[in-house]
Amino acid sequence: MVSLGMQNLGKQFQVQLLGDHAILIKLSKGLNEGIDHDLLALAAYLKRQKITGIKDIILAYDNLTLVYDILDFDANPFLFVNQLVATYIAEASNHNASNSKVRLIEVPVCYDVSLGIDLQNAVKASNCSIDELIQQHSEKIYTVYCLGFLPGFAYMGEVPHAIQLPRHPSPRSKVLAGSVGIAGKQTGIYPMNSPGGWQIIGRTPIKIFDPTSTLLTLFNAGDQVKFKPIDLKLFHTLNAHEDVH
Amino acid sequence: MKMSIKIIKKGLSDRIIDAGRYGFQHLGIQPSGPMDFLSAQLANTILDNDLNHPVFELHFPASIFEFQEPLYICISGANFVPVINDKSVALNTPIQVYPKDQLSFLQPIEGRSCYLAFKGKLDENKKWLNSFSSFQSTLNKEDHFSIQPAPFSDGSVNSIKNDLVHQVQNTLFNSHEIRFIPGPAWNDLAPSSIQVLMQQTFTIDAKSNRMGFLLEGSPIHLTEPKQYVSSAVTMGTLQLLPNGQIIVLMADHQTIGGYANLGQIILVDLPRLAQLNNHSHFKLSITNVQTAHQLYRSIQSWFIH
Repeated sequence: MVSLGMQNLGKQFQVQLLGDHAILIKLSKGLNEGIDHDLLALAAYLKRQKITGIKDIILAYDNLTLVYDILDFDANPFLFVNQLVATYIAEASNHNASNSKVRLIEVPVCYDVSLGIDLQNAVKASNCSIDELIQQHSEKIYTVYCLGFLPGFAYMGEVPHAIQLPRHPSPRSKVLAGSVGIAGKQTGIYPMNSPGGWQIIGRTPIKIFDPTSTLLTLFNAGDQVKFKPIDLKLFHTLNAHEDVH
Repeated sequence: MKMSIKIIKKGLSDRIIDAGRYGFQHLGIQPSGPMDFLSAQLANTILDNDLNHPVFELHFPASIFEFQEPLYICISGANFVPVINDKSVALNTPIQVYPKDQLSFLQPIEGRSCYLAFKGKLDENKKWLNSFSSFQSTLNKEDHFSIQPAPFSDGSVNSIKNDLVHQVQNTLFNSHEIRFIPGPAWNDLAPSSIQVLMQQTFTIDAKSNRMGFLLEGSPIHLTEPKQYVSSAVTMGTLQLLPNGQIIVLMADHQTIGGYANLGQIILVDLPRLAQLNNHSHFKLSITNVQTAHQLYRSIQSWFIH
């Protein structure tokens, strides 16, 4: 493992080999809440280099993983990646990474009990009214920490303490696409019909994963997200999911 | 383009694969590559295809295929006793099929994943995000594939290909060595658990599938309970589940994992692991990245001809 310091920002990255086809870069100090602009900027910088042999660049929370094909490198790419990170650090001192643009995405959510199938249990568990729960969930600006579990599934946080709910002990066999759930400190949206254990408090009418669109997913790691409450009528007007009745 | 291959009976879990769909894991889209890349590459090499040409990956009980125009095919990997119109055919050799020929598989004799390659260009409409790999779906009855047959200068397997077949077969079926490189959570393991992990014989649990191989064995423990920040995982990652069981992530792994990452099975040993059936046994041993890279480069050099 090698540590590379950003002395001007008081920040350090650790670079570490993962097996024989991946490299992990992580913030030495970890992450509390929100995103780290330097890590986001480093991911964008590495992507821009378009390095042959780097097959994937995957950002999650406080870390970044590069998946590589050794056949595209003459030697172990570890030193090469260290040099890239060092170059990024040197260049980053010229321009302030914290100014990098972050998207704020507004997502309409209908918190009706017919869609938020765990909503009634959720208000009981949180000891508040439905309106209070909706307000708490929707007034916060969340950060997308990573995408995973399913294509386009964004792990977002942090959910206000009062409405944090544990996962169901055993997952439901089917959660509908667009369902908005809470699991502990995190909130997320099911991109497709799937089994799932999160507590479902509402549903968005918009598609967050579309294999036919060029963007594929609504969210990217690092995005900011705010939920906008809508009523059931508007939900049905906007509903883009292929629901089978 | 004519309909060339049709599925007339659905198998347990068959699909089309190529080298995989890379470049989209940051969106949660998994690569969906082969379980055993060596056998897929071998079948393609025998037909003089590109190494990563799309092939069918079959598991037993496998689909029944019907061909609707003359085509060269090659079957590699697991031996499920392939028959064409009830007449048995050889593995690892080019086979010419004719309209109305039916290919079926009688019983699993050796191995877990079988590969069916074909000589010709698959309909580009089957491609999504630069890859032919099936995305969260398997082959169904009535599925059909348009293939533009390509010329193939016949039949006989030359001696270079014969050597290659033997090398691949030896690698897959004549050794049970599964090597790994310790990962970020390795140092969090209790010393007694490291001993157990290195000495015990693991059994592949019946719940194993393309997403992961669950290992039966004595439970493994961390020195003290620890929460890990989720990060990307790849095929071959050894995750320690909270109940002390290990799962090896396989070709349809999720992109991100939050369990203790104990290590990574090296690329050259993944095809061997992938060919082990449920209830088979193996032992783990430690290696390092230099050795792993060297072995992978040398295995891939077999295919350069």
